[in-house]
Amino acid sequence: MLLVILWLIQDFLTVFSGGGMQIPGLFMLGVVYKLFVDEGSDDSLWAIWSAFAGGILWDLRWIGVPGFFTLGYVVVVLVVIQVWGLIPPQGRASGSSLLVFVLLEVSQLVPPMLPVLILGGAAGWNYFLMQQVYSLPAIMITMYIYLRRVRSNKV
Amino acid sequence: MDNTRNTTREWIHGLTALILALFLLGVSSGLGIQKSIVDIWGAILSIPEYPAVVMREMYLGWRSWSRDKNSLNEEVTRLRNENAKLRLDLAKITSGNVYVASQDEVRTARVTLRAPMSWWSEIRIDRGEQDKITQGLPVFYNGYLIGRVSNVSLMSSWAELITSSSFMIPAVIEETRELGVVAGDGNGTVLMKYIPVSRAVRAGMKVSTAMIGEQLPPGLPIGQIAGEISTGADGYATYRINPGADLSRFYTVNY
Repeated sequence: MLLVILWLIQDFLTVFSGGGMQIPGLFMLGVVYKLFVDEGSDDSLWAIWSAFAGGILWDLRWIGVPGFFTLGYVVVVLVVIQVWGLIPPQGRASGSSLLVFVLLEVSQLVPPMLPVLILGGAAGWNYFLMQQVYSLPAIMITMYIYLRRVRSNKV
Repeated sequence: MDNTRNTTREWIHGLTALILALFLLGVSSGLGIQKSIVDIWGAILSIPEYPAVVMREMYLGWRSWSRDKNSLNEEVTRLRNENAKLRLDLAKITSGNVYVASQDEVRTARVTLRAPMSWWSEIRIDRGEQDKITQGLPVFYNGYLIGRVSNVSLMSSWAELITSSSFMIPAVIEETRELGVVAGDGNGTVLMKYIPVSRAVRAGMKVSTAMIGEQLPPGLPIGQIAGEISTGADGYATYRINPGADLSRFYTVNY
């Protein structure tokens, strides 16, 4: 439900900005955040297919060609699953800020980069760079929420 | 062992999703149904997106209104300055004014202090000796006389307003050429004193500085007669003047 809401908020903000501002990938921040805090389930298949579905819907709404963001979203989820899986549960609980930041940044870096790499063009790179700038506050907020959760669980 | 199986499953699902995404990317441009799916999805999303569209239109409308307002304000300021200059030019033409003739351009000063205790008496402006301001220099707003410089220092000056109770200058009613004295009452009212009762002075007649003044040159527009206030036993009437300049709303003045 959280992911659906985040997807809709991201879509809402994109419509509101009318292309004048690059909206951060809130949906992928939500997926990565849920992967961080998801300790109960046996696997992370939900994340893979949520990312896939979210990507396809985003492509159909904003790109017109399904696959661009879908590919990026799935790549991000696989990277996060693998890297996060390498950290022992005790290490995750201690909340390594740098790693959390890097993984959240990857979620904002990879999806918009793939269309630019595939399609090319200076305008695409400008769009990509601006999105990275606008993403930073969203990444910091997500990181803050995660670290606060880790600390409160410790107490 | 379980962990390995989970990892394997994750890899299988992940790679499947990747292959599907690549497949879609590769073949979607050739699929005829893709456009209609995009259209249908767009139509569905138009419902949750509707508030964003409305908010965006409101925002754009507000921004456009704000921009128009700014441009109108700039236009009003430009026209006001032009109007002020034309009024002074008119005064120059009608009275052969010595002062106005020497002024090639209307210069502007900012009002930096208008103390509540002396609200109707004086203002401080941000121009002084270094800007060639001299004592007695007339001060205008919107092309009308609002006072004269009473005190000058290097970088600022004080100007006495026409509403000040100590402000008294000879003036003329332009339509009748009747001479009198324009004076303030210290409470925001400007008066025209010493007009013989028998003269046909009516509201709306223009008042400007008279040629017999020692300090101010003649022909500077002051305002219009608003109405008679009192008639003295000595046979002279006092009239209230509507100053041409709005004395409550000036932030800058001309000199």
